[in-house]
Amino acid sequence: MSESTNPIIQFDHATFGFPGVIALQDISLSIGMGEFVGIIGPNGSGKTTLCRAVLGLMAPLSGHLRIFDCACGELRCHHRAQIGYLPQKGVVDRNFPVTVLETVMMGRYGTLGLFKRTTKKDQAIALDALAHVAMDAHRDTALGHLSGGQQQRVFIARALAQQPKVLLLDEPTTGLDITTQHNVIELVAHLHKELGLTVLLITHDINMIRPHVDRLVLLKTRLFAAGPPADVLKPDILRQVYGKELVITGKDLVIVEDYHHHH
Amino acid sequence: MLELFTYDFMQRSLLAAAMVGGLCSVIGVFVVLRGLAFVGAGTAHAAFAGVALGYLMGWPPLLLAIIFGLATVWITGWVEEKGRMKLDVSIGILYTTTMALAILFIGLMKTYNAEVYGYLFGSVLSVTSGELRTIGGLSILVLGLILLFSKELYFIAFDQEMAEASGVPARKIFFLLLTLVALTVVISLKTVGAILVFAMILIPASTAYQLTHSLRTLTIYSILIGISTSVSGVLISAVWDIPSGPAIVLLATSIFFLAILFSPKQERRLAPAA
Repeated sequence: MSESTNPIIQFDHATFGFPGVIALQDISLSIGMGEFVGIIGPNGSGKTTLCRAVLGLMAPLSGHLRIFDCACGELRCHHRAQIGYLPQKGVVDRNFPVTVLETVMMGRYGTLGLFKRTTKKDQAIALDALAHVAMDAHRDTALGHLSGGQQQRVFIARALAQQPKVLLLDEPTTGLDITTQHNVIELVAHLHKELGLTVLLITHDINMIRPHVDRLVLLKTRLFAAGPPADVLKPDILRQVYGKELVITGKDLVIVEDYHHHH
Repeated sequence: MLELFTYDFMQRSLLAAAMVGGLCSVIGVFVVLRGLAFVGAGTAHAAFAGVALGYLMGWPPLLLAIIFGLATVWITGWVEEKGRMKLDVSIGILYTTTMALAILFIGLMKTYNAEVYGYLFGSVLSVTSGELRTIGGLSILVLGLILLFSKELYFIAFDQEMAEASGVPARKIFFLLLTLVALTVVISLKTVGAILVFAMILIPASTAYQLTHSLRTLTIYSILIGISTSVSGVLISAVWDIPSGPAIVLLATSIFFLAILFSPKQERRLAPAA
């Protein structure tokens, strides 16, 4: 496994799960500052567990996890506000009374801490975040009135409003049409370059992220492979993980399970 | 009708109604957004069981109402957090259990006690100066805490896991919200009664929900609706000599249906999808 020069997330033989149920086993992985890492693997391979671990919502059963050089054995760690998180797309109730700007301002709350009120400066940061995702013209629109792709942009802006070092995205393209999926990934790639963010992107869609990532991490409870896309996306490695569900057509990889998942 | 305002009891009940109406409508915003409607209804019945036990044993009824109310919401929150059971099931069980306790305590009383029934049906016109001070004090406490933690309360109402992930102590804030719901219910018991208090919490916020897409505006509308329907309800009840609790709740319900009918969101739903 390649050791990054300046690791900010470091798994050291870390195992996660509940007693009797192992979700991720013996993971050793370093993620360096400014890296764009794609996390892939079949359903139930532990992708979301990895995500929860990085967020500090889950402590390792054994082994260690250090984030920003902080041992996250204890939950509710101060590093959380430095990780901008985009959860798996839930359905936003069309009538939920919250505007775009109010949604993005929530990104400031964890950073501000208790008892502090938001100021003009926080609003400026939120508006700047909206400008980064090209949604500043919609600041007063009801969140529920936006399209799925626009809502994802707003949630990315909320993550940016935390002024994070790491952007963690859990399947950001699920449920979006193909053009919008591409737009969201292009936006993430652009933010990675422009803001120098470390990006961890969990996805089913290997082909979509392949051109943008520095490294791919392939999970199936254990860490199967990690490295540049060309090293990880080899038929023999992928067959071990996906089995018969993998079909290779020319340059593209089609994973049958995901094909069903999306259609 | 103006001479009504010169009576002490009327001034007290209008003030009590305004405070309870305002308080319930603020906490109602978070209850409606976080989906805790049934929790409040259960708490009201638990608090009433506390009142009944207080009268049975000669202990302070409001204190026991607070203890019963808090125990109920905390158990509910704990059950939800542990994921042991669906929230509506655990509340349903606690709801009926505490109601059974209330009936048991009333049954054990040797004599008929009209004051206990006052807490069940509400009697804002008989609020005493002492009770008014208690309502005032507790209202300031609850509103102060809401103001102090408003941004966190909004965040967990919108998405508790997201709040937790971004560094907000969401779990503690959720228990704070449950505690504030219980306190609000207890404060309002004497004025509107255990059966109707929940309407006071749900209806103003649900009405405001029909009218706006902004959290801030929703809260302001909810407070305005809460205070105005409570005060008007008391006036209607005094003028027409009908019970105050139903007057307040039925007035609020009428406004709720009007809001649904004329909601800008309704027009949007009917419009063809863009």
